[in-house]
Amino acid sequence: MSTELTDAILAMDEDGALKIVKDRLDAGEAPEAVLDDARSAMTTLGDKFACEEVFIPELIMGGEIMKGIAAELKPRITADDTAEKRGIIVLGTVHGDIHDIGKDVVVMMLEVSGYEVHDLGIDVPVESFVAAIREHGAQVVGLSGLLTLAFDSMKDTIEGIDAAGLRGQVKVMIGGSPVDEQVCHYAGADGWGRDAAAALALAADWTGGAA
Amino acid sequence: MTPTPEELYAQREQRFNDIVALRNPDKIPFMPLMMHYFPNRIAGVSNAAVQADHFLRTKLMKEATLKFGFEWAAAVGVPPAKSCEALQMKQLRWPGGDLPDDAPFQWVEDEYIKADEVDQFLADPNGFAMRTILPRIAGIFQPLSFIQFPPTYWLANAYSTILLAPFLSAPGMKEMFEGMAAFCGDAQDFMAAEGGYFGEMAAVGYPRPFVGVGFPAFDLVSDYFRSLRGSTLDMFRQPDKLLAMIDVMLPASINLIIGACKATNTTRAFIPMHRGAGGFMSDEQFEKFYWPSFSALIYACIENGITPMPLFEGDYTPRLKYLATLPPGKVAAHFDKVDRKQFKEMCGDVMCFWGNVPPSLLCTGTPEQVKDDVKELIDVMGDRLIIDSTVGIPDESKPENILALKEAADEYGVL
Repeated sequence: MSTELTDAILAMDEDGALKIVKDRLDAGEAPEAVLDDARSAMTTLGDKFACEEVFIPELIMGGEIMKGIAAELKPRITADDTAEKRGIIVLGTVHGDIHDIGKDVVVMMLEVSGYEVHDLGIDVPVESFVAAIREHGAQVVGLSGLLTLAFDSMKDTIEGIDAAGLRGQVKVMIGGSPVDEQVCHYAGADGWGRDAAAALALAADWTGGAA
Repeated sequence: MTPTPEELYAQREQRFNDIVALRNPDKIPFMPLMMHYFPNRIAGVSNAAVQADHFLRTKLMKEATLKFGFEWAAAVGVPPAKSCEALQMKQLRWPGGDLPDDAPFQWVEDEYIKADEVDQFLADPNGFAMRTILPRIAGIFQPLSFIQFPPTYWLANAYSTILLAPFLSAPGMKEMFEGMAAFCGDAQDFMAAEGGYFGEMAAVGYPRPFVGVGFPAFDLVSDYFRSLRGSTLDMFRQPDKLLAMIDVMLPASINLIIGACKATNTTRAFIPMHRGAGGFMSDEQFEKFYWPSFSALIYACIENGITPMPLFEGDYTPRLKYLATLPPGKVAAHFDKVDRKQFKEMCGDVMCFWGNVPPSLLCTGTPEQVKDDVKELIDVMGDRLIIDSTVGIPDESKPENILALKEAADEYGVL
């Protein structure tokens, strides 16, 4: 593993990181190895976020750098991405709420950490969560909300999952600015978090891996 | 003896001002910063109905203020639906528009200035706003995107003004002015309803919280122009341009506040804050991009005799070390989430503490839980405290929990 690429990503050196990628490819290196290094940098970024060494700007910028690297590498990778997923997660902003900033950061961090994430978007009806859990065989469901109306929407969604007979097969986490232990208890969720680091920790705990 | 409305009004003003100035008040007051839809929800009226009818909305606001014992006439935080419709507003969604009748209005964040357009904005903020931003945020302004108006001073004579005909007859212009006329009509109703509400409330002893509103320059750029993603990428890709946009917006925000306060002879200004909270940026980024223009806004208010009322949305615990440097007794600091004890330790001699009762308690808890939380607040803060939730009264609050806020303030708040 080369630390040059991971160092560039962690330093938010977008141009430098892309140049290293191109140089390594020009030198005949396998694109899969380069991608592994880039992913490793994003995992480190997630760890640093959890420790409050970096913050949302670095996550967004890191995601942007990763997007550029993936665009460079993807056409050269012929095999399917067979990397084993750490778990399957369905996630969305609950019905009545159209906010997506927090959800998007959580989705990005879960994806770069190796989870298969199905983002259902915003204002997601209960039945869409139920259908997605069935379709993808999700182990974890993430419910996001910024508004106080989301408290009841989260409760409705969890009750809907229960009524569909799926509550036993999924763990439900909730998150968003007004969410706390009180809301977790009210909605009947298994856990709650205030940021992407908390979501990662819960997902890791529930899918049997390290955060 | 029962105080007269004038005495009540004066007592409430004095109470608020004493607490802000870090003097001992006669009691801890319950003063919600604002309300959105709580008054209509408890009256069984839809959000769409009050968003469309200003007089109905203010009538219900008055009823809620009196019923729940607020100690001033809480401000209104709801954009008018008919105005939004008239402007074909795209930057907001509202109940009765394309949202259900009982949904709250919601903001549509986007890059209304693209990354590669920042130079154009900086070169001519007025022209760019008119030709590019307005058509993006409101449909009726679409013609402004293609009509090449001459500079205004070219038109400063009768002949040239009449020669505006080719511009005014362009496609969409008549519809734009008709939309503006409808907007003006609704705006007049809005102002009449607001004036009536605050006037009636003042006559029975309830002060108005604020008239002036201004935003930290970073939030103006991030919320309104570049979005969180865009402004974040600017921090890394074009930091100097981000700072230049902030420099453009700082005087605009200061002048909005000072202008509104002078025009209405009022001395309080609300400053909602979004992107400076813990987690949104590092200390280094905060010091570079957020704090200088925010603190300049605060000092400008103070120098002009205005009490700034910043609403610190998000968790401000990591920023307490900066707040501690502000002038003592000048800022009415309203908090969403913050470590109460750390605040007391670091900022207790600098500013009062307002808000912070969690919406989760008010919407899903019991009156006993609410009272316990207020008691804890009073135990930590003493009498430099104003009771409220995190962003005013949450829409879905249980009425008995709002009564509990008042009861707790009365029960534990006379020290």
